[in-house]
Amino acid sequence: MTLGSGEPETLLRWRFRSYLLLGAGAVLLVAAVALRTPVPVFLALPFLLAAPAAAFSGPRTTPRLTGRWGAEGSGPEVTIRGSVHPPDGLDPHNLRFDGPCPPGLREVAPAALEVRSDRLEFRLTWQALEPTIEVVAPPRIAWQDPAGLVERRAFVELPDLVVERYPPELLRLAGVRLRRTMVLPGETLSRHIGPAGEFYGIREATPADPARRINWSASARAGRLLTNDYQVDRTGDVLLVLDTRATSLGPAVDERLLAISRAAAAGIAESFLRAKSRVGLGVFGEFLSAVPLSSGRAQRGRIRAALLAARIDPASAPSERCAIALRRYFPPDVTTVVFSTLVDEASADLLPHLRLRGFPVVALSPSPLPVYPHVPPLSPEDEQLIGRLQQLLRRDQVARAWEEAPTVDWADYWSLAPFVNLLSRPATRRVG
Amino acid sequence: MNPRGLGSWALLLAVGGIFGAVTGLPFGSGVLIAVVGGLGSGLLDRWPRRADVRSLAPVPVVVAFATVAALAPLGLLPELLAGAAGVAVLVWLADDIRRPAGGIRRSQLTLGVPALALGIAWASALLLPSTAASLGVAVALLVFVVAAIAYLIGAPRVFDREEPSVS
Repeated sequence: MTLGSGEPETLLRWRFRSYLLLGAGAVLLVAAVALRTPVPVFLALPFLLAAPAAAFSGPRTTPRLTGRWGAEGSGPEVTIRGSVHPPDGLDPHNLRFDGPCPPGLREVAPAALEVRSDRLEFRLTWQALEPTIEVVAPPRIAWQDPAGLVERRAFVELPDLVVERYPPELLRLAGVRLRRTMVLPGETLSRHIGPAGEFYGIREATPADPARRINWSASARAGRLLTNDYQVDRTGDVLLVLDTRATSLGPAVDERLLAISRAAAAGIAESFLRAKSRVGLGVFGEFLSAVPLSSGRAQRGRIRAALLAARIDPASAPSERCAIALRRYFPPDVTTVVFSTLVDEASADLLPHLRLRGFPVVALSPSPLPVYPHVPPLSPEDEQLIGRLQQLLRRDQVARAWEEAPTVDWADYWSLAPFVNLLSRPATRRVG
Repeated sequence: MNPRGLGSWALLLAVGGIFGAVTGLPFGSGVLIAVVGGLGSGLLDRWPRRADVRSLAPVPVVVAFATVAALAPLGLLPELLAGAAGVAVLVWLADDIRRPAGGIRRSQLTLGVPALALGIAWASALLLPSTAASLGVAVALLVFVVAAIAYLIGAPRVFDREEPSVS
């Protein structure tokens, strides 16, 4: 069998029906000999010959299907539409389709298939349970004879597909003023002549600044040259830090909350990158894995790849290690968004360590309360009491975190309005 | 009820019923066994939602037809009807209501090869002088088929074809 490098070769697979017919045929032949009657032989003949005949009617090598697909829909709705083209000589009616639903998504309706003369069109209708960013694996497609006796898996060649769903409020993040800014690199198109845009702040003048941008009143008061800055000419830096250390919540809840954090981080990065800000990413498990600050489409791809690769790290590490490692990659004073559940001391410790290293931190903490696994049946009073205790415990965790940094308790996963409002507050920005 | 597949199901029941009738069993037991097997398979194929239960749908009809074949008397007509019943099972399998329509038309090789072999076997039985010869054919077939099945299941690459090199 000759296939391109990296393409798996598949063998013909006998299905249950084949074994049933072949087994029945063999038993009938034995019965014919034992009972000394030829009638069972005549019934056995079709049973014995059908499966080999079906095998010879199919493709003799791994079928290679090409096609295209894409994700549609908004909010929690996810619709995947696509089509695959079988090679010449392979009837698309004989293709068996199986589109498995990735974790974090729920199948709303069975796959809708439409067979054309030269292709198989499919539509998958899913629903995102929470904000998510997931790679969708290509559907499993196999050639199967019409009688369902034999099948052979096909090699499906489709481009990578990532489903991203995050709260819509993140689109408003672009207007947030960031603490650490720099002059926008490269050519900046503006309809105005000279420096334009909203007044941003005052900073130390540099020899490159033209005289008309010097703020003479402020310079006179300060006793040194200060210059005006305008928002349109500047870009900000944002650092996103994901705490992927295992917590006392257990691996299942940890993974689910990390998936939600990954989606939010992707949405925040997307929003700031669209506004030409520089975005960096740190994923901290046992060690730090960092994507340095940068902007543009390539950075979006780098951040997305790092987020998709982020998994819960069972090996624990001290929070100080994260803060020290972050300073190797990122300058201080960068607006830092930390994604952490804050459920135990190790995760809550991260905030003061980052603050002490000079990172102004805002914590976005996905609440574990909505995803706690169901406990065995309890009386309504007991359930209410447990819920109340969990809420009190959570409130205490968030209050302790607030002592170190502004913290958003993220319980409604489809809304990030409190987080966007917090970042937009004048108290959290520093002028100049 | 989905009207698709009713034709092949009716064919299965009809051929099975006739096959059961020629067994000559008392009180129409042969017909009853064949028809109950056919009905059981059809219902098992259409009703259950679970795919693993549906996959067992061919079992009742195969068991019923095998029972009828074991009880059938010697003769050219029972032999012909037994073969026809086997082909009817294949036709019913090919007319799967969960697959795109036209399964029977696309199963020419799967249905044609067994039907052709059946025709040759029945013609041999018709022309050969005694039933002892038929039994000899059965023994030879048994040995051959068991060996062939063991070989084919153990070596699925037999059905692979080497692609020509492009370089």
